[in-house]
Amino acid sequence: MSFDIISMILLWFGLYYIVSLSLNMEFGYAGIPNFGKALSVLVGAIAVGGILDRLLMLYFKINGDFITGSTYATSAINTIIASHPIVGIGILILAIILASILGLIVGAIFILPSAKLKEDYLGITLLAISEAVFLICTYNLNIIGGYYGISTPDILAFVSGEYRGWVFAGIVLIIAFLVFLFFERLLNTPFGRVLRAMRENENTVRAFGRNIMMLRIKTMAIGSAIGAIAGVLYSLYTVNIIANAFTRVDWTFFPFLMVLLGGKGNNKGVALGVLCYVVIKVLLDIYKYNIKYALNIPFEPVWLSYMLFGVLMLLILYYKPSGLIPEKPILTPPMKKKIAEIKQ
Amino acid sequence: MIIEGAIIYSNLLVLLALGLTLTYITTNVPNFAQGSYAIVGSYVALTLLKLFGICPYLSLPVLFIVGAIVGLLTYLSLKPLIKRNASVEMLMIATLAIDLILLGVIGAYSEVLSQIVGSTQAKFVFANLDFSIFGFRGILFVSTLVVILLLFGLYLLLYKTKFGIALRASMENPSLAQTMGIDVEKTRLFSWILSGALAGVAGGLLPFMQEIVPATGDLIIISIFAASIVGGLRHISGALIGGYIIGISESLITYYLAMAFGAGFLVYGKVVSLIIMIATLLIAPYGITGVDWKKVRKRLFSQ
Repeated sequence: MSFDIISMILLWFGLYYIVSLSLNMEFGYAGIPNFGKALSVLVGAIAVGGILDRLLMLYFKINGDFITGSTYATSAINTIIASHPIVGIGILILAIILASILGLIVGAIFILPSAKLKEDYLGITLLAISEAVFLICTYNLNIIGGYYGISTPDILAFVSGEYRGWVFAGIVLIIAFLVFLFFERLLNTPFGRVLRAMRENENTVRAFGRNIMMLRIKTMAIGSAIGAIAGVLYSLYTVNIIANAFTRVDWTFFPFLMVLLGGKGNNKGVALGVLCYVVIKVLLDIYKYNIKYALNIPFEPVWLSYMLFGVLMLLILYYKPSGLIPEKPILTPPMKKKIAEIKQ
Repeated sequence: MIIEGAIIYSNLLVLLALGLTLTYITTNVPNFAQGSYAIVGSYVALTLLKLFGICPYLSLPVLFIVGAIVGLLTYLSLKPLIKRNASVEMLMIATLAIDLILLGVIGAYSEVLSQIVGSTQAKFVFANLDFSIFGFRGILFVSTLVVILLLFGLYLLLYKTKFGIALRASMENPSLAQTMGIDVEKTRLFSWILSGALAGVAGGLLPFMQEIVPATGDLIIISIFAASIVGGLRHISGALIGGYIIGISESLITYYLAMAFGAGFLVYGKVVSLIIMIATLLIAPYGITGVDWKKVRKRLFSQ
């Protein structure tokens, strides 16, 4: 039992770290209040459920309706994966590539309506678009099965059940680490610094001849592509997709909580924030009924966790708005030289 | 029949959008918790009905007060951030947090209430309690009456009292109003209390229109924002215009789409309001009341 808790914590840490890193680039670095983060995760699910499952149905020549057809297709591919592990890895990579491309496109389109808007209008528009897409995906059973749900390929069909959680957590952690390296490289370039400048003062950046809109589009495209990878991993882990799972609370609000808790604009701080949140979340998930009966609360513990995390968010905003590990000034080589000169 | 529904829905949207616009004008915060305020009102009305047998229409004054308290509490919890000059993103996140807390409270309360009453209260409607006059539903008259009363009251307050003049001044130009000795703090407090109260009343009427679950607030917030933005977030009358535009078009366009393409389209009402909202943002980012109509007319006539 206790071992399972650790694998759960590692898995969720990896998943949420990927989402939070991408949100940190959009919100922490570029200052775009992306209240539609859940959309990018949903895009990952669409890449797996809507595209990959359909490709599999075509490959196995399964006709008939999408929901039952995808069940047959996934069970057919699972038997292949069970004997040829390489197929499973291939499917994972294919799904990630599909999701990244779809994420890039959706992210770039997602920000277009808010071309000339200030922060508040921008946040409202992003939230509304994401919520509307969520509604369509929930009620339209032909996209990813809606509230009814569809199954996805089990890329670890060759691993026995008891180790599956650990192996999957390992894969997720490796990908999360790669994403971390990617963002560290990407954001320690002139591009990363111009994003920070845009957050501080858009007009200055514009005065220096940079196109704010282009920067926003690039940021959201990359951010959504990475968010979509998390969506792929989540839907491949749970082996099925139910559109209701991609709610605003789970995939927008909680990532914001983690980024603000850790320290926005600081990828290592975000790791700490994600870890704190995930430990609380997994423990609450596992022991919720123990807590319920021990404290004798007359309602589902999920409502209590909503209140708890809402209050936690307010407390962070009151007392630690820059997070546990605040953002540090960037030391580029010319700056280091200057500091050394001053010290002498 | 469908127009009746559209008018009722618009009336409720006006109540909700008016609160949103009011608080946005005075404090510059788009309040994401506005939808949940209404659901708090709905559950209070349900409690009064189930435990004391009070008809939801008669409990409207109570809802007004409960909503006002919720609005006041929200403002008090935002106040430390406003004092510190926190950025608008932080304030928006704070209202999202308050929305989540309210959702938790409503959800928990709905289960507690179910245990007290003895049957599940997670979903409910009041439509079966409604009366009818000349074949129209009672809610049509009540919601219209509430909007008219509200507009009359607001008119009296804003144009006939000294406080109203101060209020309008601090909406037009807060820093200048402050220099003239107007207590901007008081106007903010007032706008949040009124905003909560209006949402509470709207919440009492909403169950006559649609089924309420604890998460309904998160759903109607799209329409509320669409109404406020289409009308213009900078002007009170914007909420009135926007509320009717969004309410009527959401109901009618969805209805005709459903007639043309099948009943499946009925669930996409929110998408219609989203598209109208995005179109407004692209053409006139400050909404209908933000457009300089003199300029538009000049341009039209010169061509």
